[in-house]
Amino acid sequence: MSIHKNQPYSLRHQYGQERIFGMETPITAERAGAGAGAGSGTGSGAAAGQHTGKKGFLRRTWPLHLMLLPAVLLQFIFGYLPLGGLVIAFKDYKPYDGIWGSAWAGLEHFRYMFEYPDSKQVIINTALIAGLKIIFNIVVPFAFALLLNEVRKSAFKRSVQTLVYLPYFISWVFLGGILNDILASDGIINTLLHNWFGLQPILFLGDGSWFRAVVVISDVWQQFGFGTIVYLAALAGVNPSLYEAAEVDGASRWKQTLNVTIPSLAPIVIVVATLAIGNILNAGFDQIFNLYNPLVYDKGDIIDTFVYRTGILNGQYSFGTAVGIFKSVVGFVLIVIGYRIAYKLADYKIF
Amino acid sequence: MQFTWKRMLGLSLTALLSFSLAACSGGSNSASNGGSSNAAVESASTDSGSNSSSGDGGSNAAAGNVDETGWDGSKYAEPITLTTVKGVGTNYYFKKGETMENNVLQRYMKEHLGIDVKYDWVVTDTNDAYKTKLRLMLSSGEKMPDVITYRGDIETVNMLIDSGQFMDVGELFDKYANDTYKEGVALNPDTWLAVTRDGKRMALPILDYAYNDDMLLWLRQDWMDKLGLQPPTTLADFEKIMDAFVNQDPDGNGKKDTIGLATGFKNTFLGWMSDISWVFGDYGTLPGQWNLASDGTLTYGSVDPASKQALATLKTWMDKGYISKDSGLKDETGASELFTKGQAGAIVGRNWLPDWPFGDLLNNVPGAKYKGYPLPAGPDGKIGAQSGNPSVNGWMLINKNAKHPEALLRYYNFLFDNWANPAKGSEFENGFAEGYDWAKLPDGTITKDPQKYPDLFPDYADRTHLVEPIYYSLTFEGARIPSLYADTMIKLANGGKPETPYEIQTAAIRKPENIEAMKIVLDQKDIRMKNYFQGPLTETMKSKNELLNKLINQTYSKIIYGQASIDEFDSMVESWKKSGGDQITKEVNEWYQSASNK
Repeated sequence: MSIHKNQPYSLRHQYGQERIFGMETPITAERAGAGAGAGSGTGSGAAAGQHTGKKGFLRRTWPLHLMLLPAVLLQFIFGYLPLGGLVIAFKDYKPYDGIWGSAWAGLEHFRYMFEYPDSKQVIINTALIAGLKIIFNIVVPFAFALLLNEVRKSAFKRSVQTLVYLPYFISWVFLGGILNDILASDGIINTLLHNWFGLQPILFLGDGSWFRAVVVISDVWQQFGFGTIVYLAALAGVNPSLYEAAEVDGASRWKQTLNVTIPSLAPIVIVVATLAIGNILNAGFDQIFNLYNPLVYDKGDIIDTFVYRTGILNGQYSFGTAVGIFKSVVGFVLIVIGYRIAYKLADYKIF
Repeated sequence: MQFTWKRMLGLSLTALLSFSLAACSGGSNSASNGGSSNAAVESASTDSGSNSSSGDGGSNAAAGNVDETGWDGSKYAEPITLTTVKGVGTNYYFKKGETMENNVLQRYMKEHLGIDVKYDWVVTDTNDAYKTKLRLMLSSGEKMPDVITYRGDIETVNMLIDSGQFMDVGELFDKYANDTYKEGVALNPDTWLAVTRDGKRMALPILDYAYNDDMLLWLRQDWMDKLGLQPPTTLADFEKIMDAFVNQDPDGNGKKDTIGLATGFKNTFLGWMSDISWVFGDYGTLPGQWNLASDGTLTYGSVDPASKQALATLKTWMDKGYISKDSGLKDETGASELFTKGQAGAIVGRNWLPDWPFGDLLNNVPGAKYKGYPLPAGPDGKIGAQSGNPSVNGWMLINKNAKHPEALLRYYNFLFDNWANPAKGSEFENGFAEGYDWAKLPDGTITKDPQKYPDLFPDYADRTHLVEPIYYSLTFEGARIPSLYADTMIKLANGGKPETPYEIQTAAIRKPENIEAMKIVLDQKDIRMKNYFQGPLTETMKSKNELLNKLINQTYSKIIYGQASIDEFDSMVESWKKSGGDQITKEVNEWYQSASNK
């Protein structure tokens, strides 16, 4: 909205206040067709007299398009043009020969990816870790938001909300260091376990099965504050009259939660889950990279760390790109499927 | 590593510059000097002498002495232009108004050598910007400058060589390099290996100090004294010491919270600090590198049967708590913290560890003492430790079409003669230029503190850092004579009196433990096991290295942690061979054959 205030006076004058507001939904206006034509009739100044649909619309709004142009150009140059580089997945890219000069390799790199002895393990690790993260990152913040919503003291609620949100802002470089410290064989956790239960030190980060648990738990710990806020916002939007009606019907708190709150939150959960499904092959490079070590390669090595080692460290750019494309395609297909399912189950459209 | 270098260099470089005293300084020996430099140029065999100061102006050389390149013995009679590109390091500071293209060193070289260095482009070298720009220049087929100097990964050097734009520098080197440079290169016969193609030498090495990367054992001397332990000579001795460190409470806090050796092998078993590869060396191999077998072929240390014995030893160390339970999760720096926080009693590393990170130990544990020892010998009396690769820290490539390809060598020669080890009272005794990296106080003492004496260091933009013009040179830190550092340290260790400016500076800034350590390194220099493979990555390496390294690191770690039996080693070797190892061994040996038979 603030953009209107910044517009030169002449523009505002020329097109009239309603036109400017029209800018926000040009597509609706265009789609409405007749509406746009009709609207132009109410315009003032130069626009008056141009009644014919699209052409008139463009003539009236070209300065706005002009203003949009830099952003579109930037997006094109930095967002879409580099996509052309994906072609190196089908080439034997050598930096000296350049992208176009390198020889074609066809699907060689993709074939190699599936023949690579460790590929299967790495893909399984990725899907497993990412899948667990997705599930717990929905369940935990959802449950936490429900609980927090029942808290009456506003100050307590807010401070808890802020506290659990904090880790979200800490980079994995630091969190990795912290976890390495507190999970070390002589770290806080092992010391406590030893003092309280007399346990021998557990090698949390050096033992494959523990490693996956640590990765999932620490990720949830870092992320769930953010999810909680999303759900709390959704909770605030539930129509109070539903609760009133339920109360009149004699529903307990628990019944209200079950029959009012959860169904009301279902759409947002489905949105979150749908968007998350696309990340099934993103197990979180930052986190794994800062925590893993050779002892847990078989349980903790994921596609991204694998690509980092082959593609970046070993200079196999084409191969790295091929794996990246594979990941994106799988993610895209899953999002489309998830979207369809969401539409079927919850009758909810995101796009 | 860079850290100490810079500091040392910054403090130890010594010189005296006089802008306007062009020809006056070396009048006494200038006549003979002109002659000898010319002889060196023409025959490439005469000793040009380390104290011949070829920078004393061209006025002495008669016009008739100008050779076919236009060089009159000390400078180009007609100034020439040398084009290059530059990544400006984050440790380069400039005075107000000076830039990479126009600064005191650039003007000096133009005036005194007749070499006018021009930059096609200059980039601030953060996030590998210089490398990226070089690679971009390569991939877009831009015209290359006369000279490219590069310090960093050998892959980029290989790409530059493979671009075919650069010349065979072998002949130039033989003809124009001065003796200091030649001796430095000859110190390690393998210096050229990395850049040799079909017997041709494709790049000139930028030399660094030798023996600086060699390993020795550091022990907590206060613990040794307290527990009455003797210096270790064998691995068995060392195990006894570690056992005492673990079980006899050397830090006296009543808790069993100490360990023996600080080591970390998260990323590699051939670490640059907190090293563990020496244990393998005690059994006759080094992991992660190509060793020379008795039959003259190269074999990969990680799959050598001797490594199995070393792993068995390391497993017992892990079981007995001699090494940290978290060793497999720590990298070199992380592991060194075990030592500097006072938990571990031993660490294997380089001679300069007292500079960093041992300062932390003294902060964390007041009264701590450390001392360097030779590495202990294995059961069969073997000792082996990694040595730094040839004392080279960068490469210079010369364009095939350069008009004056020899100019770069003359530039470097000049720095070797005048900068690398300046004589007392010579031009660069205190630094490159007065008012830049040094100044003289009224009482005659030399200062390098621009913050304290703003008047003596005019036009500084940032007073927290000394402006060091030598960094602007084509060859990074001017010139370093490989043997100088070690020789000076030995002299000092043997009680020699520091005489030259370099020696005085070294004696002033090096800790006694450091000097002693350098002596130990040189005393046991026969234990060095170098990596014989220095060529570009082979085809199979490119596609299989990741797989093979992962296999080895994982198996090694699991064996040491007892998560896999020691016999896993044999099946690891089998699958290493099958998954490309045999092929790589073949390629490496082919490279070695072709590179060693010039």
